[in-house]
Amino acid sequence: MKNIVEVKNLTKEYKNLKAIDNLSFEIRKGEILGLLGPNGSGKSTTINSILSLLKTSSGSIKIFGSEMTPSSYDIKRKIGVVFQEVAVFNELTVYENIDYFCGLYIEDKKLRAKYIEEAIQLVGLENFKKFYPKQLSGGLLRRLNIACGIAHKPELIFLDEPTVAVDPQSRNNILEGIKKLRDNGATICYTTHYMEEVEILCDRVIILDKGKILASGTIDELKQLTNIEEKVTIEVDNLSDKYISEITEFKNVDTISYNGSILVVTYKKGKNNLTDMVNYLNNKKIKYDKIFSERPTLNDVFLELTGKELRD
Amino acid sequence: MFHNFKYTLKTLFRTKALIFWTFAFPIILGLFFNMAFSNLENDEKIKVFDIAIVNNQAYEENIIYKNVLDELNDKVYTAKYVSKEEAETLLEDRQIYGYLYFDGDNPEIYVRKSGIYQTILKFIIEEVEQRKNVLNNIALKEGYNFSNVAEDIMTKLDSEVLTLNNKSNSNLSYTVIEFYTLIAMAAMYGGTIGLNAINSSLANMGEVGKRSSITPTKKSVLVISKAIASYIVALTGIAILMLFLYFVIHVDFGSNLLYVILLAFVGTLAGTSLGILVASAFKCSHDAKIGIIIAVTMFLSVLAGMMGITLKYVIDTNLPFVNMLNPCNMITDGFYALYYYNTLNRFWFDIVSLLLFTILCLIISSVLIRREKYDSI
Repeated sequence: MKNIVEVKNLTKEYKNLKAIDNLSFEIRKGEILGLLGPNGSGKSTTINSILSLLKTSSGSIKIFGSEMTPSSYDIKRKIGVVFQEVAVFNELTVYENIDYFCGLYIEDKKLRAKYIEEAIQLVGLENFKKFYPKQLSGGLLRRLNIACGIAHKPELIFLDEPTVAVDPQSRNNILEGIKKLRDNGATICYTTHYMEEVEILCDRVIILDKGKILASGTIDELKQLTNIEEKVTIEVDNLSDKYISEITEFKNVDTISYNGSILVVTYKKGKNNLTDMVNYLNNKKIKYDKIFSERPTLNDVFLELTGKELRD
Repeated sequence: MFHNFKYTLKTLFRTKALIFWTFAFPIILGLFFNMAFSNLENDEKIKVFDIAIVNNQAYEENIIYKNVLDELNDKVYTAKYVSKEEAETLLEDRQIYGYLYFDGDNPEIYVRKSGIYQTILKFIIEEVEQRKNVLNNIALKEGYNFSNVAEDIMTKLDSEVLTLNNKSNSNLSYTVIEFYTLIAMAAMYGGTIGLNAINSSLANMGEVGKRSSITPTKKSVLVISKAIASYIVALTGIAILMLFLYFVIHVDFGSNLLYVILLAFVGTLAGTSLGILVASAFKCSHDAKIGIIIAVTMFLSVLAGMMGITLKYVIDTNLPFVNMLNPCNMITDGFYALYYYNTLNRFWFDIVSLLLFTILCLIISSVLIRREKYDSI
């Protein structure tokens, strides 16, 4: 698969801090690449460096096979960016904002009008064209932010945490829109600290922490990095130490944690772990509210790699 | 470029804070000035003013001063010849603006407070003092006509302080200077418009700037089109203010309308350029930059005479370089020169000074804006 972006040995240092530490990765044509990491892990700095907004300390960046510089206007023409913070003019309506930013890429008015309508449709703002940003909810504002970044139909799109502080309905709308963009042929780099979004959306994931790549690969490849294969969670009150130690002795159990109301048991591998647990609880006549089994998540991977939660 | 220009105009004309500071605030201030100065104006038209001269032996023996001061009597001031005690009482009772007391060769000036008449009195004494050596020799010749010296002083007084016959044949008014300074202030407030527009083109000044910076539109195109739009908005504000001052407040701009318009164009250009400079030179919040422009403009306007001509006169006399570098003063002085002077030398000096100020601001800004990547954003 052809690489659209190639980043080699990229380092960005501030006075006493390495915000990005020798990053090397590529973004392949037609994929959604997720940059996953907690706040401050270097995701936005990486994007700003790729876009030639920031001076980097070392490394090289190629986009569409050419070196990216601030005056690479031919490359910029094919890129769309949605920044973390909403970047629109409060004095312009929804339609005018999209038209303004789209007009910085496309001069043909007729073509632009068509693209604007398509962008508005994609993010679901058909009923808000004449609204000013201050009249929009947080979620609608985020959708406008996205429309401004992608209306010109870019081949490569950078989305920097586009769903932060967004209501569930808008989030679903945004994620669906991003899938449509990919289906229409765009290559997407998506940064987030929401692992659920990455799991829904991304073809490949790079996990970042403190400016370094901790791991990369498909979601299945990343999940194989963790020792656990299954996690069973039980909502149960006042479980005695005797029962906890008996559960610890179950086959394949890796770790066990109990906070007085929720018991979490992880298993290295094996089948029927959930059935065995239900049988045990019934046999011992232990009352529980809820029990469920999960496959390991990216958060478990992150926890195992760093010893901390993704959202810490 | 037109696309960017068009949307910058839309954005600026819809920015309420800018509209207030650029369009409404100077007009409101103009109304206040008019209310405050309308009574003062009637009282304070330059007139022949009352002084006292202590008629002691020293004065009688000081032939040069005596002759020159006698010549000026009833032309510039009306002098009462009294004893020192009587002069002191007259001053206390505010019947005179000041008195002269001769103790030896040189007079001492006694005033209660500073003001235009006190300044004129001081000016006369300084002028006579400067000519004294020459006059000492000439005065020995019998029949010397001291009225020549008095006329010379009056001529200089006319050109340096306030001419007594302005070109528009209206009553002499020195409160127009406050309105001229108001125009200067409004022109410099145009800086906030330039600042607003340019900030949205720079990646290190906010999210819209970042978004603009990653588009294929060149930064120079963005900045120039936004600067032109800002200039037009600022110029509209100045035009509205001047029309208001002319038709509502009846401020006299003299008879050289084309020169008045030229000065408005150049002054607004200087203001917009100052905004572009502040936008590109300071890395602080947008509001802080607006604060810088407003504070600097207010300070420079006061120095240029917005709160009274006396301060302008004091600075022009004692710290001339301060007002020579002050763009508000350049604009004020330009209107002042058109209103009071028969020649355009001073006006053209102000125009050239404003253009130099503008060019300097734009050169520094272009060097700073040319930066393409940032250490941090």
